[in-house]
Amino acid sequence: MEVNIIQIPDKPHAIIFQFSGEMDSDKIGMINDTFSQINSNINYVIVNVKSVQMISSSVIGELMGYRKQMIEKGGDLVIAGIDFSIRTKLNLIGLTKIFRIFSDPRSALNAYRWEIERHAEKIHVSFPSHLKIVPPVRQLISRIAKQKGYGNRDSFRLETIVDEICNNAVEHGMSGSELSIKLNMEIDPEKVELDVTNTSDPEKMASLKALLKPKNNNDIKLDERRGRGLALIKMLTDELSVDCSGTGTSVHIKKVREE
Amino acid sequence: MESQIELIYEDIKGKHNVKLVQFVGDLDATNVETVSEKICNLLNEGYVNIIADFKKLRYVNSTGLGTLLHFSKTAKEKNGSFKIANINENVYEIIEIIGATSLLEIYDELEEAIKALD
Repeated sequence: MEVNIIQIPDKPHAIIFQFSGEMDSDKIGMINDTFSQINSNINYVIVNVKSVQMISSSVIGELMGYRKQMIEKGGDLVIAGIDFSIRTKLNLIGLTKIFRIFSDPRSALNAYRWEIERHAEKIHVSFPSHLKIVPPVRQLISRIAKQKGYGNRDSFRLETIVDEICNNAVEHGMSGSELSIKLNMEIDPEKVELDVTNTSDPEKMASLKALLKPKNNNDIKLDERRGRGLALIKMLTDELSVDCSGTGTSVHIKKVREE
Repeated sequence: MESQIELIYEDIKGKHNVKLVQFVGDLDATNVETVSEKICNLLNEGYVNIIADFKKLRYVNSTGLGTLLHFSKTAKEKNGSFKIANINENVYEIIEIIGATSLLEIYDELEEAIKALD
């Protein structure tokens, strides 16, 4: 058995142990030596077993002990380099209940950034200013939120927020295939922030001002078919600001995760 | 590329001016005109009582909600009604946030909506 220790330049609290060969019980001493070398501030160990032929139960037990230590330091010990086909077998023997398993170290590092560092992910979407493009965009944002662990309710609310902001951006801005709407999303485990910017249309400034005029929700009338979007956005978000000072109107929202 | 929505129509036995309409998909700004035209056609054809089955309506936005309110108003003007049943939690919440639950006739079950016609 061999082990290669890989430091990660911008991740002082994470390390990768790349094992190869057979991790059987007589290698426990070597595994312990490897762990004894790591700095005390390390709290996230990625055990890459891509080149490992077998792991004995005693080694698994040893790794469980180190995992406990990492969890106590606010981190984790995870296993990487296991193909999906093998993962189903590991699932059968219950290993996936003990360790988090990733297909490669990069995925394990992404999980570290997201879960331990609570690092925000940034997504930029640019799309033509047409109403028909809005549904796939809103569904994309909703799917990203779900993929990041947000619940159905939060994801649905985000979908609604994106839909309403983007529909307003199309309706009250310049429209056309060449004119794009820019959506920037920043998502972390606690909140989502969105910025949507269109290209202002001078001829639609009056309708935009009317839209932004404060309205009371009790003013709702049965015969009004439009004009509820902004009120809905306000009620679904924790922060909302609109800036019409530039060449485009920018809407910024913050939505705190609820579930 | 409109959002997918399908309207499936059914008659209700013994009710000559009633149409049961299943909404399947998403109701939003891209298809609201098409849906509006179809429902208004029904109302104009004499089906002044519409029961909208929302069991498979996944999504509605503020424009879609505005149209639902319009159906309700138009049906009432024709001495009929626009009743909604089987609404999902997410869609209901949007209607609730807007404050329109009291403006629409919403029933938990389809049978309740049909019974309310008597």
